[in-house]
Amino acid sequence: MGLLNPGALVFLALVPALALAYLAHERSSRVTVSSVLAFRALHALRHERFAGRPRFDWKFFLELLALTLAVLAMAGPYVVRHENPIAVVLDNSAQMKARTASGGTRFEKAKKELDAMLAAMPGESAVSVYLTSPEPHRVNAAPLSIAGARSAVRDAETTDAPADNGAIVNLLSELSSDSHYAKVIFAGARALAPPVPPGITAITVGDPIENFAIGSFTLKRESFGSQALHASVTVANFSTAPKTLKVTITADGKSLASAESNVQAGETTVLEFPSLAPAAVYRAELAPSDGFPLDNVAYATSGSVKSVSILFVSPTPDDAKGLASIPGVSVTTVAPDAFSPGECASADLAIFEYAVPKEMPSVNALLVMPPPGDPVFDFDTVQVRAAQITAWRATDPLAYSVNFRLLNPGAGEAFGVHPWMAPVVDGRQGALILRGERDGHRFVATGFNLFPYLGRRNLPMSILTLNILGYLAGVGANSGGYRTGQPWLVPAGIESVILPSGKKIAAKPGTLFNDAASLGVYKLVGRHGTIALRAVNFSDLADSDLLSAAPLKIASRAAAPKTRAVTTKVPLTIYLFAAILALLALEGLVVYRRRSAAGA
Amino acid sequence: MAGLPEEFTPAFLARLEDLRIRTRQQFPGMGKGSHLSPKRGSSLEFSDYRHYSLGDDFRYIDWGLYGRTDKLYIKLFKEEEDLLTYVFLDASASMAYPAGDRKFESAVLIALALGYVALASGDRVMLRVLGGSGTRPAPVFSYGRNRAIELAERLRAVRPGGQIDLASALARELVAIRRAGKCFVISDFLMMPNVVTHGLGLFTAATMDVTAVQVLGGRELSGQGLSGDVEVVDAETGEQVRVSMGAREREQYRQTLLRLSREIKAFCLKRGMHYALYTTDRSFQDFFLRAAADLGLAH
Repeated sequence: MGLLNPGALVFLALVPALALAYLAHERSSRVTVSSVLAFRALHALRHERFAGRPRFDWKFFLELLALTLAVLAMAGPYVVRHENPIAVVLDNSAQMKARTASGGTRFEKAKKELDAMLAAMPGESAVSVYLTSPEPHRVNAAPLSIAGARSAVRDAETTDAPADNGAIVNLLSELSSDSHYAKVIFAGARALAPPVPPGITAITVGDPIENFAIGSFTLKRESFGSQALHASVTVANFSTAPKTLKVTITADGKSLASAESNVQAGETTVLEFPSLAPAAVYRAELAPSDGFPLDNVAYATSGSVKSVSILFVSPTPDDAKGLASIPGVSVTTVAPDAFSPGECASADLAIFEYAVPKEMPSVNALLVMPPPGDPVFDFDTVQVRAAQITAWRATDPLAYSVNFRLLNPGAGEAFGVHPWMAPVVDGRQGALILRGERDGHRFVATGFNLFPYLGRRNLPMSILTLNILGYLAGVGANSGGYRTGQPWLVPAGIESVILPSGKKIAAKPGTLFNDAASLGVYKLVGRHGTIALRAVNFSDLADSDLLSAAPLKIASRAAAPKTRAVTTKVPLTIYLFAAILALLALEGLVVYRRRSAAGA
Repeated sequence: MAGLPEEFTPAFLARLEDLRIRTRQQFPGMGKGSHLSPKRGSSLEFSDYRHYSLGDDFRYIDWGLYGRTDKLYIKLFKEEEDLLTYVFLDASASMAYPAGDRKFESAVLIALALGYVALASGDRVMLRVLGGSGTRPAPVFSYGRNRAIELAERLRAVRPGGQIDLASALARELVAIRRAGKCFVISDFLMMPNVVTHGLGLFTAATMDVTAVQVLGGRELSGQGLSGDVEVVDAETGEQVRVSMGAREREQYRQTLLRLSREIKAFCLKRGMHYALYTTDRSFQDFFLRAAADLGLAH
């Protein structure tokens, strides 16, 4: 037991002060009365009391006690409790749905073994339960008892999202080096590579399983102007022997086509399905079935042919002609003076050429050579006659496949340091391309004009432009389609999303949609009830290889003892305040009852 | 009425006009009045016969008796005279405590109200102050209701103070007044009961009709607001008593005071006296009109 703020004990000096004040108040006072006749008997009574005096009122003792407790509460008393906190990390990723040789799933096996381990723990242990999918998160805000933890583990469910091994490694690394946990238990499909940090106990249920998987399922138009679609399905054989894999395409409940191929062990192949009849949703199913059925099914929608709507705000509308020539892009041009913020609502993205909006746009936006000093973006620009690119961020999605050495921006402007946009491409005088996010929207600013060169002679410029438009339209970095567990940007005009389970979730255009952990077709509901379909499939083939999963390498950040006794300080202040309130309530009650009795 | 305390509103005075002093025996007065006197007189109340003497008024000869006895008898009637009313007001120091209770002021109001009832009934009133300081009322009878203002002015000059021995003081007054009549003694009677009974007993022995009015303060009765250890000092004797006052002690003190009052009341009723207790936390007008019978008044 100790005190968090022992200095507050100086206020205990108030206690004797109160006692002195009381004694002074109780000091014999001299009062002239009409007659002492009736007081004589009382005088005799006074001598019956031990030592005659002093006389103390019970209320005085009560208030003295309350004051002492208040001072103690200010001092912050605490008791030291020795705890045995445990962190339980349960892998609930899609791979845990795989069936083991015993018949059950990996997840059921992991939960069973974890439950047995928790049942053997000391009863006073405090347990924090973490799940790993769709992203690592803690299930309980406050530590649970053993029984609570077992219940939380029993209630845990898997998702269709693949395991994010990097995030799991980071979580385990943090927990193992966290001094608040005496023990970390990890139950998952992957083993931990030695040396396992002390304090981590692993329950590995990832027995090798032969698996056949669909890797990708893409649709494209058979030819320009044709209604028929062409499907490509990538399949893989993660087994130890060659296998004939058959894929059947169905659409709206009807079987459209099927194809099969003998795939060598550990190999992948692509099955083509030409001239598919138009349909809203296509479903590819792989045979034969295996222990991990999730990746034997994939979906695709014809929604990918939907054009991207661009609002082009520029004093030179002819610059948009190059944009309009891109297949699947529709452009609406508006002069800067005629632009109103409400027009952004019907666009997937906006482009402001030589102009900036008077308020923050409600869609993702590209700002081409914005004028300096505007109050919304506050660009600091320097005019450059011949901009030269000196550096770029190669890993940035805007820089993907762009050969900046061949890119000649020409005359333009260079940006100074911006408060919330980061440079992607730098020149001698400053940044030439800035990128940032604000209020859930993406913004890109370029110091040179992209569009006169689009589709003409400057190929790097065209790639850069398409990268920027793809990034702003929310499709640029995800050409392979949407994957379970990966958030995506809500397109313009969408108000809600209906999950494959039928659950409806409100959505805001331009923001990330995070509830994409289920495999299937999502319905994106627009303002007037219009519905766009979006297929979300299992992750890439790397996550379908259940035969040779590499163990997780946990880096121990600090040398920690194998078993640690964690002590926590449990403050008693709240109990003291409760006692004070109870004392005052008792005094009030007694005084009230006495007065009521006297009044009666 | 101007000159009287503010409690004497016209409505209250009108109610006082309806009252008159009731006595349990007949006292000779000093003039014509409304109370039967032991003297022979000309009232309608028959008293006795005597033999006719030369010069007697023929109108009082009882001719019926003459017819039966053949002797002349004269009918004698009782006289109706005014009542000699004495109001003794305790102005000792004890009447000034507790200060907030205004015991003496209340006692003055009672004295004035009794005096007004007597004067309005055509009786004579002598107001005597026991103890106290300031100009005392002269030992003369007042007559006529207008004298009530004069009585009020005289009492206004009196300040409570000093120590009195009630028995001795009443004995001295009894010697001084000489003539019997109705006697009101207004005091807190906070003294040994035998002193009170001795003093009041002197008046009954002198064939006086006595009403004892005890005035106690509201706070005085409830413990005078005292709490904790207190050294109480007697306002008259200076006697000091150290006590510890709590709720239990206050209640015990109150019961002691009430017991003393009950003893005085029992003595008064046993000796044919009237007794009334007024506590100053009550309305004076309400008390006076409700306790008229206890005060020896009648409508």
